[in-house]
Order: sequence, then structure tokens, then C-alpha cells
Amino acid sequence: MSSFVTEVLASSGKLEKEDLSCKISKLSRKVEDTKEEVCEMINKKYNDFLPSLQGSEELMLEVDEVSKEMDVLKNCIETEVQQNVHVAVAEYAKLKQQLEKNTVIITMLGHLKEFHSAMEESNKALQDKKYVVAANQLQRAKATVDSLKGWKTSQLPLLSALSSELTVQRENLIYHLGDEWKRLVIWRLPSSKEPADLKSFLKVELNLSHSCSKDEEPGPPAVLCSVLQALAIQGDLQHKIKLFSQVLLKNMLKPLVMFPSLSVRVTEQPEKGTVLALQSLEESQEERSTPSQVYSKLLLVLTTLHSHLLDVFIGDKKLSAIMGELIWEEISRCIIHECLLYSIPNNSSQLEKYSTVIKETEEFEKSLKEMEYLQGDSTDLLKYSQDVNCHFARKKCKDVIVAARKLMTSEMHNTVKITPDYKLRLPKLPAPASEQKVKQESRKDEVTMENSKQLSAWSLCLPACRISESVQQLMELALNTLCESVGSSTQCALQLFFTVRNVFQLFDDVVPTYHKENLLKFPHLAAIQHNNCMYLAHHLLTLGHHFRAHLPPLISEGVATFVDMVPGFRKLGAQCFLAQMHVQRAELLERLSTAHNFCNLDDEDNYIAANKAVRQVIHQLKQLGTVWQDVLPVGIYCKAMGNLLNTAITEVIAKIMMLEDISSEDGEHLHTLCQPLIEEGPLVFIPLAEENKNRKYQEEVPLYVRKWSTFKELVIVLRASLQEIVDRWADRKGPLAVEFSSSEVKNLIRALFQNTERRAVALTKIK
Amino acid sequence: MDDDVITTLKLLIIGESGVGKSSLLLRFTEDTFDPDQAATIGVDFKVKTLSIDGNKAKLAIWDTAGQERFRTLTPSYYRGAQGVILVYDVTKRETFTRLENWLNELETYTTRNEIVKMLVGNKIDRDDPEVDRNEGLKFARKHSMLFIEASAKTKDGVQCAFEELVEKILQTPGLWESENQGQKVRLGDQEHGGGRACGGYCSIP
Repeated sequence: MSSFVTEVLASSGKLEKEDLSCKISKLSRKVEDTKEEVCEMINKKYNDFLPSLQGSEELMLEVDEVSKEMDVLKNCIETEVQQNVHVAVAEYAKLKQQLEKNTVIITMLGHLKEFHSAMEESNKALQDKKYVVAANQLQRAKATVDSLKGWKTSQLPLLSALSSELTVQRENLIYHLGDEWKRLVIWRLPSSKEPADLKSFLKVELNLSHSCSKDEEPGPPAVLCSVLQALAIQGDLQHKIKLFSQVLLKNMLKPLVMFPSLSVRVTEQPEKGTVLALQSLEESQEERSTPSQVYSKLLLVLTTLHSHLLDVFIGDKKLSAIMGELIWEEISRCIIHECLLYSIPNNSSQLEKYSTVIKETEEFEKSLKEMEYLQGDSTDLLKYSQDVNCHFARKKCKDVIVAARKLMTSEMHNTVKITPDYKLRLPKLPAPASEQKVKQESRKDEVTMENSKQLSAWSLCLPACRISESVQQLMELALNTLCESVGSSTQCALQLFFTVRNVFQLFDDVVPTYHKENLLKFPHLAAIQHNNCMYLAHHLLTLGHHFRAHLPPLISEGVATFVDMVPGFRKLGAQCFLAQMHVQRAELLERLSTAHNFCNLDDEDNYIAANKAVRQVIHQLKQLGTVWQDVLPVGIYCKAMGNLLNTAITEVIAKIMMLEDISSEDGEHLHTLCQPLIEEGPLVFIPLAEENKNRKYQEEVPLYVRKWSTFKELVIVLRASLQEIVDRWADRKGPLAVEFSSSEVKNLIRALFQNTERRAVALTKIK
Repeated sequence: MDDDVITTLKLLIIGESGVGKSSLLLRFTEDTFDPDQAATIGVDFKVKTLSIDGNKAKLAIWDTAGQERFRTLTPSYYRGAQGVILVYDVTKRETFTRLENWLNELETYTTRNEIVKMLVGNKIDRDDPEVDRNEGLKFARKHSMLFIEASAKTKDGVQCAFEELVEKILQTPGLWESENQGQKVRLGDQEHGGGRACGGYCSIP
């Protein structure tokens, strides 16, 4: 151990000594370096710096001298040289002005020369009928005048002379051009005093004359071209072409579109040139021409015009393009509204055939584009005809509503009999796929599940009654429209379906208002209207269901139904009939009120009045029974008549019960008055047209008239003896006790019989 | 007015159309027969006084229409009825089988539970019966009804039918009320003017 420690200690001492020597050597090196640096620095300061300082000082002295010289020079220039320069500048300015003036005058003279030569040329050209040249020259002249005018500084009287001369010449040229134009293109028109109808249009004729072109060149004759171009250059062409196009539109193109019996004939006559004349074909049956007819007629005119007149370049456009711009909007509108609109088919079956019309329209537009009447992107007609589905639907819907409204406002009293086995002529629609699957599955269970007792085939059918013919037609209209919608596109089907809904809603709005007065005045019509509403309600229940599967999903999943309208129709029908019942009831009561309450029938006047009242009541009921016969269903007829008869007899009963004193003569009279009601009352029930079948209903009067038994009992009492009355009361067990209360019977007894012992005894038995 | 009438009884005649209800009533009240009796419209009413065991009862007899279409009217006539005669035609089986329906209706509308029912098999004068006596009897027993066969034409059993019915009603306590207070009710044998006087009488208030 001790040897290790001593070793360590020994080595550490060595290390210290080595370290120390290392550090000292480093230090001495550093000192050397520092010594060198100091030496260098001192060198620099004293060896280099001082001489440069001296040099700079010398330079400064030299600079001072030079600046002094510069100042001297400057002064010299300012005083002397400047003056000379001014003078020189003034001189140059003057010279320049002179030069300018000269230039202007020369230019003006040049223009004048231009003007003169241009005018001369133009005159010469005009003589030679070289219109284009003439026009061009005039343009040149105009340009010069314009540029002369541009110098506002000069107000030469010469200028005005020039412009006036120019104008004169221009007008002259235009006049000549106009003359030429008139000779080349001649219209023969009906006078403006004549009405614009078919006959007057037959006189229209367009004559495109041409100086005989023997060479048979294609295109319009050169004269014409030059005239046109000259006009263009002079800026008058637009006006002339506009006039021409207007006349063309009004007298030739539009009549050709609107009148199917008009057509155009193109002839080449050697002296006259090309003639387009309107002529009449045999009277065609149709009101409107078909698109292909119109297109061919128009094309004939436009092609002739193109080849003989319009195939000319004006600037960089063809004249046909210019003309096209002027007439296209109007003529396309005319074609759409007078021709295409009416060519829209009425049935969806014809819709498929319409593609030929679309093709024809496309061809027509293409031809027009080839002749450059139309720009490449203009497709108004084509677009319209391609939208045929849209137009069809809209037209169809409009037609349907118009037809429906017409039916609704037509006479209601032409009727049609509906029997319980009546079925709507529903079309046989193909069963949708899902239904067929279900049928196959259920076939196995069919045998066991069928109930042996079946409902009658007539359950829930509409009872026999009469409805308006117009309503049946309305139903057919709705059916047809729905059938249309089955084969149509989605958009179309939707529109048609909602149109049908609108039709029924329209019924609700229109009919009660339009026929309001008649419905109150004529019970016959009120009954028919009631039936109409019930008929419609009945069929609306199932109408939606029948078509539902064949309508687009948008509707078939939700609203393909008319069931929501059913309560409205029923209410309408009921209200209408009830209103009439009120009227009838009021009338019955009114008549009975003239009976002087049935009192004092000994008095002749009173008796006559009462008798009359009763007879009138019976007569009114008989009338009503006849009017409603065969119109109302039997059940409703009997109920209604029963109700009214009940009103009458209830009133009579009430009046009699109020009498306090009925003498025996009065009693007789009352009995005689009431007898007709009992005998003839049932006879007003004649619901069926076959007379012998009505007896059954007449027997059932007690069923329909609530107070019938009461009335009969009362009539018996009027003539009965005390004993008979007591017997009929039978100690509360007789019919009298069923119909009257004991107090009522007692009152009757008191009114009918004098106050005797017997009466008192009888009264005690009524309890 | 009859002072010795002790009570008024409401009787009803019901049954299928054409079994002879009106004829039975006519025979009973007027002792006549009309072979061309028309179908009753609605309801017919007749009054007749009958003497049973010396007791006079006034009968208020309601002859109802049997046709289906008048059925809606009949329920109102059941009220207060004390006796009902159910009629069937022995020569038409159907009229017998449909008696169940009539009984049902009766049970529904009657206001008195102790109402006395009598079954009458009419037209026994004919020689083509489809329902024999035993069947009728069995049916009547089953439904606690009196039973008789009759012929309105020959008057056979008609009087008897009504008499038995009235008798039974009078014997049923609580089914009828006396008209006059303290009226003596004579029960027992039919002998006129006393006979076996049991001496006792009931005073029914």
C-alpha cells in the first residue's frame, strides 16, 4: 500500500514541475509577440502618418486657387454671353411660326385640290353609273371637309361653300341611288285604305328587276351590288333596308305565316325580272299552317331575295346579315305565336311525332344561317320547339281549365241518369310490377280465406239519381287529363295532375256563385246540384287511387289523391239542398199562416181561407214531388218529402191544439180540412218514374213523417165521441196516449165538448 | 162508462208478415173473416172488453205490421204491454224459425219483465202444415210461453187464446193495476154469481 501512495505522490510532483515549465515557455512566447506589435505600431504612426498629412495640406492650397478662377469665369458668362442667346432665340421663334403657317396653307390647298378632284371624279362616276366609285369619292371629299373643319382657328367662308356643295352632291347621289333602287326593287301593295285581310294580300308582288344578265352569273346583278354598296358608304343603306324589311314583313312574310291558303310564287320574266307574287291556294280547312308549310314558304322568299338581292358584301358583313338582324326578332316571334304555338299537340301520343317538327325547325334555321340571315348562335325557334314538352303541358293545362270553366257555367238542367251499376270509364292501366308479385303470393291462401257471405256488388255504389250532363262531361275531362299524364314526362305529369285538382277546386268556387240564384229559385236544379256534388265526391274517393301508381314518384308517394276534397263536395251538395228545403219550408208555413189559425170556421171567409191554405200546401208538395221524381235518390226523396209534409202537419196540429173552443160544426169543418192531408199527403210520394212502384213508398209515410200518427189520432178525435176518446186513450195504453200527453187530451176534450157531467167523468179517466 | 171494468190491459200481436195477426184480431173483436185482408200499414188498434171469472177487463189490442220496412215503428209499441201474442203460420216453416228474432226484439224493448207471452200457431184449417203441434209446444215450453193452435178462418181457438192470455195476466201479481181503489177482485172458478165463495178477497190498492 505505501508503495502506491508514494508512487502517486512522486508522480504528482513531477507533473507540477513539467507543467510549470510549459507555462513559462508559453509566457515568454507571448511577450515576444507583444514586443513586435508595439514596434509596428510606433512605426506606423511616425513613419507613415506624418508625410501624408503634409501632402494634404499642399493640396488644399491648390484647390483654393482653382475656385477663385472659376468664379471669375462665371461672372463673365452671365454678363456677356446671355444677352446674345436671347436675341438668337427670338429670331428662331419667328422663323418657326412662318414655317408653320406655310405648312398649313399648303395642306389646305392640298385638301381643296382633293376636294375638287374628288367631286370631279364623283360626278364623272355618277355619269357612268359607277356608284361605288362615286360614293367613295364623295366620302373622300367629306373627309377633307371634316379635316378642314377640324381647325377651329380658321372660320373661312370657303368652308361653308364647300360643305353646301358637298351636301348638294351627296343628295344628288343619294337621289340617283334611290332612283336605281326603286327601279330594281318594285313593290306592288294593296292601298292602305283597304283592310288588311286575306284578299288584300293577294295583290302583293315584289319585282326584282335586273338589267339582263346574259351570263347567268350567280348572285345579284352588279348594278344592284354597286347601288347597295354606294348606299352603304353614304350611310343611307340602313334606312332603305329597314324600310324594305318592314314592307317585306308586313306584306309578305307575316301573311305567309298567318294564312295557310296564301303561298308565294317565283317567276322569271324576261323583261320584268324576278317576280315574287302572293297567291292563294285552294281554301285549306285548317285555321293554321303547319310549321313545314310555313318554313318552305318563308325559305322560298328568303332564298330568292338572297340570290337576287342580298348576297352582297357590305363592308365585312353580308347584306343578308344586316337584313336578318332587322327582321329576325319580329318574324321569329310571329312564327312562334302564329304557327308553332298552334302546332303544339293536344295529346301526349302526338308528342313523339313532334320530333319531325323539331327537325324541320332545325333545318330551317340552318338554311337561314347558311344564307347568313342568322348568326351562328341564334337558336330561338329551335329552342322553342325543343321546349315542346313544356309548351304542351302549359297549353294542355290551360285548355283543360278553360274547358272546365265552360262546362261549369253551362246549363245544368240537361241531365243524365246514373244507376248503381254505373262505372266510370277508367282506362285499363298496366299493373305496376309490385302488385303482380303480391297477387301470386296470395293465391294459395285464397281458397281458405274467402268469406262465404259476400257483400252485394252494389254496396257503397251511388244510388240511382240524375246528374247534369255537364258534370259527367267534367268528370270525363278530368279522367282524360289524368290518362294523358300517365304517359307523359315527369314535369308534364305533375302539371296535369295539379291542373285536375285545380279543376275541382274551381268547381267549388265557381258553381255555387254562378248558379246561385237559379239554385234557390228552382228546386229541380237544387236537387240536381246536390246529386252533382255527391257524384263528384263519390268518384273522387277512388280517382287518385286508380292513377296513383302511374304518376311520378314525387306525387305518388304523397299527394296523389283527391280524397281531401270529398268532405268539401259533400258539404256543398248538402248545403245547397238544405237551402232549398228551407225555402220550401218557409213557403209551406207562409201558406198556412194565411189560414187564420183555423178558428171560427163557421165564418165562410175563414173557412175558405183555411181550405185554400191546405189545398195550396198539398199542391206545393205535389209539385215538389213531381219535380224531384227520378232526380233525387229514393231514400233522400222520401226523407225530404217526409220532412216537408211533417212541417205542414206539425203546424196544423199546433194550430188546432191552440183552439180553446171547437163547436161541433167547427169540429166537422176541421175534420174536412184535414182529410185531404191524410188522403192526399201520402200521394205526394212518387219517387220513381214508374207509377205502380210508388205505392210502396206511399204506404211508408208513417216512417218518413214523424207526426203522421199524431195527426191521424187528432183527426179521429175531432169527430169522436167521449167514449171513443176514452177507449182510444185506454188508460194510457192506447194510441192516443202514445201521441198526446194527458193534459193535451184533456184540453182537446174541453175544447170539443160542453161542460157536462159526462165530460167530467171522461176527464177523470184521462190520466 | 163501465164501472165494473177492473183494469185495462195492453196486448200486442206480433209476428211475420202474412201469418194472420190482423185476421185473428178481426175474428176476436168482430167475429168476421176477410180472406183478402190487406197487409197492415204501421199499426192497427182495437178495444174489446172481456170477462174472465166474472172480472171484466178492457183490452187495448195493438195489431202491428209484420213487414220488414215497418219494423222501426214497432219498438215504440212495446212500452207498457202486459201481454203479447206471437203468431206463426203452421203452413210456413220460415215464420216459425224466425220467432227467435221476434222474441229477441220483445226482450229488448219490453218494459215489464213479467210480461205474459202466448204462442199461436195459425191457419190450422189448412191441410199442409209444415210445423206440427209438438214442435210448437216444445218451443213454447222452452221460452215459458202459453201455446195454442188456432184458425182465424174457422174461429177455432181464437177466443180461447185471448181468454187464456188475459187470465194468465190477471193471475200474475204486479203485472196489472186496478182501475178503481178497493175494487174487489174475484179469483177462483168461472161460475157466475158466487159459486164457491172462498170468502176472501184481496183489496189491491
